[in-house]
Amino acid sequence: MADATNPIKQFEIHSIAGIPFGDWKFDFTNSSYFMVTSVILVSLLLSLAMSRRALTPGRAQSMVEMLYEFVTAMIRSMAGDAGLKFFPFVFTLFAFILMGNMLGMLPYFPAPGFHGFTFTSHLIITFALAMSVMAVVIGYGVFRHGFKFFSLFFPSGVPWPLYFLLTPIEIISFLSRPVTLGVRLFANMLAGHILLKVFAGFVVMLGSMGAIGIAAAIAPLAMVVALTALELLVAFLQAYVFAVLTCIYLSDALEPGHH
Amino acid sequence: MSCRNEPKLSASDPDDFERRLNTRLEEHRARHAPPRDSGAWKLAVRYGSEFAGGVIVGAGLGYLADRFLGWTPWGLPAGVLMGFAAGVLNVVRAAQSMSRSDDASH
Repeated sequence: MADATNPIKQFEIHSIAGIPFGDWKFDFTNSSYFMVTSVILVSLLLSLAMSRRALTPGRAQSMVEMLYEFVTAMIRSMAGDAGLKFFPFVFTLFAFILMGNMLGMLPYFPAPGFHGFTFTSHLIITFALAMSVMAVVIGYGVFRHGFKFFSLFFPSGVPWPLYFLLTPIEIISFLSRPVTLGVRLFANMLAGHILLKVFAGFVVMLGSMGAIGIAAAIAPLAMVVALTALELLVAFLQAYVFAVLTCIYLSDALEPGHH
Repeated sequence: MSCRNEPKLSASDPDDFERRLNTRLEEHRARHAPPRDSGAWKLAVRYGSEFAGGVIVGAGLGYLADRFLGWTPWGLPAGVLMGFAAGVLNVVRAAQSMSRSDDASH
């Protein structure tokens, strides 16, 4: 009973299998399981849908083509045509996060324990994704522009003594990007799933209180239905927002000092 | 004579086909523009996280400076102040980029 209505229980991480590695043991957790499942599902669905390669696409193929067009248009509008060389990166991130968010919307899933899990509701995972974006931005920026990339930290048209103040601020602002990028996805998924579970918990608690309770449980049940629809939207939107911000940061790597 | 031939010619002309295709594509793209950032909740999360991120990173850097460079107690306050400034800068940039994407899609 307590477990059924505990809104935080769904975020628990537990080990499924231990992988021995010398003196160490790596735990393959339910989080890892869902990430692997997400990668396999995305690859499988995309390759299955594109296996026919028809000139006139069927339903599955046109969905994949829409996804492709969507991401292309997004990169083009945010980072210009030069940004298209990052298409594989952005598309992979977008598909991975979208699939993870959508898997999180399933209350039951063929997993050990048969319960759903949202890996994007864990800060360490969204933060790792954000850090990979920053690694690409810094790596490509330095590779492409050399030390001119660091002109990002020296805004132009400022008398030089102000650099003592402005450069640290710019550096902090730059370093805060992965934090905001990761926290935003994490916070949205966490808050949404807790909210869902709280209202679902009301249904269970009221339902165990006899006829009046069952009648009263209709209100939170309706709320859960509405929230599920909202959460589906949020699941898509947050994947989109993450990809858009990735594009914005990548455009800094393409042309630093251009704000 | 030439008048009557014109539509037939243009229909088979590859350049013209390209042009017509492009105008259709442009229309299509304009219609299916990606959704804009809107809605109070999203705005709140966007600005809130931009600002909080700046403060958190600034405070963290200040603390590290205290800890490893021995700037105690000046690193943390200076870091928090810088972080506030960086947070405001982040919010201004977010607002700028949002109003720019609004202008572009109207």
